[in-house]
Amino acid sequence: MRMLPQSLVNKRGASPVRVVLTLAVVALLFFFPRLVESTYALHIMILIFISIIMGSSWNILGGYTGQYSVGHAAYFGVGAYMTMMLLQFKQIPPWYGMWAGMAAALLTALVIGTICFRLRGPYFVLASIAVAEIFRVTTLNLKEITNGAEGILATELPPLRIGGTVITDFLTKVPFYYAGLVCVLLIIAISLGVQHSKLGYYFQAIREDQDAAHSLGINLTVYKNAALAISAVFTSLAGSLYAIYVGFIDPTTVLALDLSVQIVLICIIGGIGTIFGPVIGALVLIPLSEALRSNVIAEGLIKSGLVNAESGVGTFLTDHLSHAHVLIYGILVVIVILYMPDGVLGFFSNLAAKRNRGNA
Amino acid sequence: MTIFLQSLISGILIGGVYALIGIGLTIIFGVMRVINFAHGDLLMLGMYATYFLFTLLGVDPFVSIVFTIPLMFLYGGVLQKVFINRILNSLPQNQILLTIGLGLIMSNAVMLAFTSDYKILTTSYSSGSVDILGISVSQPLVISFVITAAITALLYWFLLKTDTGQAIRATAQDREAAQLMGINVKRMSIIAFGLGASLAGTAGALISPTYYIFPQVGSSFTLKAFVITVLGGMGSIVGATLGGILIGIAESIGGVYLGSGWKEVIVFVLFLLVLLFKPSGLMGKSNA
Repeated sequence: MRMLPQSLVNKRGASPVRVVLTLAVVALLFFFPRLVESTYALHIMILIFISIIMGSSWNILGGYTGQYSVGHAAYFGVGAYMTMMLLQFKQIPPWYGMWAGMAAALLTALVIGTICFRLRGPYFVLASIAVAEIFRVTTLNLKEITNGAEGILATELPPLRIGGTVITDFLTKVPFYYAGLVCVLLIIAISLGVQHSKLGYYFQAIREDQDAAHSLGINLTVYKNAALAISAVFTSLAGSLYAIYVGFIDPTTVLALDLSVQIVLICIIGGIGTIFGPVIGALVLIPLSEALRSNVIAEGLIKSGLVNAESGVGTFLTDHLSHAHVLIYGILVVIVILYMPDGVLGFFSNLAAKRNRGNA
Repeated sequence: MTIFLQSLISGILIGGVYALIGIGLTIIFGVMRVINFAHGDLLMLGMYATYFLFTLLGVDPFVSIVFTIPLMFLYGGVLQKVFINRILNSLPQNQILLTIGLGLIMSNAVMLAFTSDYKILTTSYSSGSVDILGISVSQPLVISFVITAAITALLYWFLLKTDTGQAIRATAQDREAAQLMGINVKRMSIIAFGLGASLAGTAGALISPTYYIFPQVGSSFTLKAFVITVLGGMGSIVGATLGGILIGIAESIGGVYLGSGWKEVIVFVLFLLVLLFKPSGLMGKSNA
């Protein structure tokens, strides 16, 4: 079965350098909005944060426990829809709504888990897809409750007050940035906690060999459900965050199979079953797809003189490259699966390990 | 009663095409134990091939399968040789992700080349209807069902009677034993994926007169193909044939009595029920 690259496992005895470095990065992230004025940079950072939260949440179920759900859009959608429906139809502010979303996701996860965890391997994957599709089609059809295919547009976000003082009125991107950052730190802390706790060892035992784990007295259904519950709750949080940040949701964006696949990709590209895999995955995928979407790459190629703007290739690139980000996802997945099955992170640490062995 | 019979018959007719899609997926799974998540995208390629053969060269969609079958067979064989063969021994989840990646590449490459506009293929008989026992049924559906039945019969003959067909079935039963008996399993895998791809492509060609053609049309058919193969039992060709027709009927009758929006839900609920209570499927051996 899969083994974690040794260099990642052994470094747990945190060296002072690592602690200082980590604190420095966190501090830098906290001052980022002060240092950088650009709203576009903030926008990219918020998208990266949401991706990290989704990826890390999936990683707890898919990475540590080895249960490949390709239906996590269901939990993302439950969070997004709960928050938005409460906000738009009941005027309940999102910071309460998101708790409702998390509770709903937990409940859904327990029901789905109890049903689907009886299945293994490819059958579980197929069942998870089917469940997510049932959610999508149901949301499309329950027009009176969910607005159906039209989706929900957030018209106004109430200011966040604590004891009469206005903390923020959500007019800039800064409050979303901090909300995202706090959630990212939270999910990374939880992943660390899971990885090094008894619970995490149970999860990993299930991933490596279900039957062996079972014969050692690990209750498979209970622990798989526990992993799914943690995973679903935080995926739902990512959904709530996405919904209030973007301000518009519909079934084809927050409940689609594409989203489920994208959540898995973040982990695959970074490295499954590692703390920083989803972080690396998000750092690779989001800037890449944003650069393609905003045509930076096409313009760059033309400016650098590699491609003539008037030539057929040049006009083709400027016209079409902005739609190509999903194509690039596909190509990335194929490359990663064929050449770096441990993800980018695993690939480089294997490379480093090889070099060290060469020197010794 | 007429409405019931009418939806039953059109369910069976569309179910024939579904069976074709399911058989393709089940052959690929049987021989290689790989679930092909790009199956619907292969179907989509078949639709586009048919569309362009019709609009550019004026080839009738039902005649065009003469071209789509060999084309898709070649394409499937190349996919197998270049990509799938390299991951036959890796984790099932990696195989799934690889085929998802290939599917994304296909659908988005088509989108880049031909935009995501819906295309419609209109033939002189697209809206025509035929009377069967006093019940009127769409004419393109009837033609496609006849072709489907012929292809399925041919396929059964190929798999049961020819040497290559028997070698494919042997590989599906036990890859190692087949190899020990001197069967070239790599070549059988290439033939199997080629067959699967050409069946999906043919299904695409057959439904193109009655469906919208757009780059993302594949994913709903991929899901349908899973439902069909799981329903019939993974790897069972008879099962996939029955499963396809059952799903066609369930969709058609469900669409009439519960509204077309809900018909997909019925299919997926049916799917979950089968997964839970008989994961080996209707025709599968019960060792899942």
